[in-house]
Amino acid sequence: MTALLRVEDLTAGYGGAVAVDGLSLALEAGEAVALLGANGAGKSTLLKAVLGLVPASRGRIWIGGEEATGLAVERRVRLGLGYVPEGRRVFPGMSVRDNLEVASPLGRAGRAADLDAVFALFPALEGKAAERAWRLSGGQQQMLAVGRALMGRPRLLLLDEPSLGLSPKLAGEVFAAVKAIAGTGTAVLVAEQSAARALGAARRAVLLRLGRVVHDGPADRLPDDALRDAFLGG
Amino acid sequence: MIILQLLVNGVALGAAYALVALGFVLVLNATSAVNFAQGDLVMAGGLLAVAAAPLLPLPGVLLLPVVMALMAGLGVLLALAAYMPLRRRPPVSVFISTIAVGIILQNGASVLFGPEPRAAPPLFSGGSLSLGGLVVAEQSLAIIAVAGLLIAAQGWLFARTQLGRRLRATAQDPEMARACGVPVTAMILATFALGTAYAGVAGLLLANQFFVAPTAGGDLILKAYIAVTIGGWGSVPGAVAGALVIALFEVGVSSVLSYPVALGALYVTLLLILVARPQGLFGEAARRRA
Repeated sequence: MTALLRVEDLTAGYGGAVAVDGLSLALEAGEAVALLGANGAGKSTLLKAVLGLVPASRGRIWIGGEEATGLAVERRVRLGLGYVPEGRRVFPGMSVRDNLEVASPLGRAGRAADLDAVFALFPALEGKAAERAWRLSGGQQQMLAVGRALMGRPRLLLLDEPSLGLSPKLAGEVFAAVKAIAGTGTAVLVAEQSAARALGAARRAVLLRLGRVVHDGPADRLPDDALRDAFLGG
Repeated sequence: MIILQLLVNGVALGAAYALVALGFVLVLNATSAVNFAQGDLVMAGGLLAVAAAPLLPLPGVLLLPVVMALMAGLGVLLALAAYMPLRRRPPVSVFISTIAVGIILQNGASVLFGPEPRAAPPLFSGGSLSLGGLVVAEQSLAIIAVAGLLIAAQGWLFARTQLGRRLRATAQDPEMARACGVPVTAMILATFALGTAYAGVAGLLLANQFFVAPTAGGDLILKAYIAVTIGGWGSVPGAVAGALVIALFEVGVSSVLSYPVALGALYVTLLLILVARPQGLFGEAARRRA
């Protein structure tokens, strides 16, 4: 079976600093994977390199069996990637509805159906559809960022620190939505420092340390020492 | 009655300036680059209308789409030559490249047309309408109608269409727009095309009543800059409001006092606005690139 995402020997970073170092990883369709590690482990850089926001200096990437290495970001999105960045990055001066609609590749009718689906997942957004995104609370902006990524009908959703800056209650709501999305068959790769939340939404855990995979296995059988080593070193 | 007369003339001039400022602010928002060639593009649009008039003996209103289309093409060329190769460089690179484009346009126009001011054809006719005691140039009314229509069309495009959403998303956060599947490079080219088409329309509209000469661009870019500064850096409604304020001074104040005094008063007002609201009249919108 062809993997939905395959990364081989990927090296990426910023200037001379290597953040992802010869990393290989594969994800099957519908899989929910938690990408865990300490600050600077390379989680965000891996997601950005898969999407094409950070160029790979070495290695290859396939999305849905199609080689995506060197493709423009928007081409990778069309291959089935959805991206929820760290810090939300909603379009602040646009309304909630426009933030959602802009990410849709579909015509008016398709967009309307997908909007309804997003509002069903995040009812808090429906009543604020006409509001400018900057007026939303942090939690609502996070929901908007997830909803916006879903409007692209992704086969694989890349989430970067979705609980960052949120209260425990709101973070719980966001992760409940992530779990629901994973339950619909959309693959999810979630980079998160809060291991407990991410493991609750995922079936597989990948631990990164210094840009390399140090553990890859079922989320419910993650050895404590592997987790401790990934976060604290060892 | 004279106040009404001045108001019509002022709004007509402000409407044409608004198109200059709109083109300027659209490119500014989409690229964060100050297009210093905008004034010279207005001049190019005016002279294009002058050159096309004998070849296509049509009323100005039918010449308008031809000028818009050709200027949109010029806008794409401008983006490809002066912006795209430098977009990852510091912003000053694009300042300089657009200044260079302006100089090329100015000197090219001097060679082709000579230094004398020329007039483009009127949109409908060069006559006047008498409404009660009010005598209004048909061109002034036509300018208000055309500019109003184009500004409304732009508002509709940006607010109601998927293309408009993509243009706005590109202006607000190009990297995130890409991550949402928006073809950002195409959006930037479209923005340059639209902004330059607006410059062309402004050139055609202004070149009938106010004439156009190859050196006209410097004054126009200054007005666009002032309009955008008054309105709020990056704000589309602010650019329109700023353009109307400038026209108010140029027509209203200068008719009571004199043109140099009106210009002085405009700059004093600009300073007062910046002291009271450094972000401009629509500053909050500008900060968020609405």
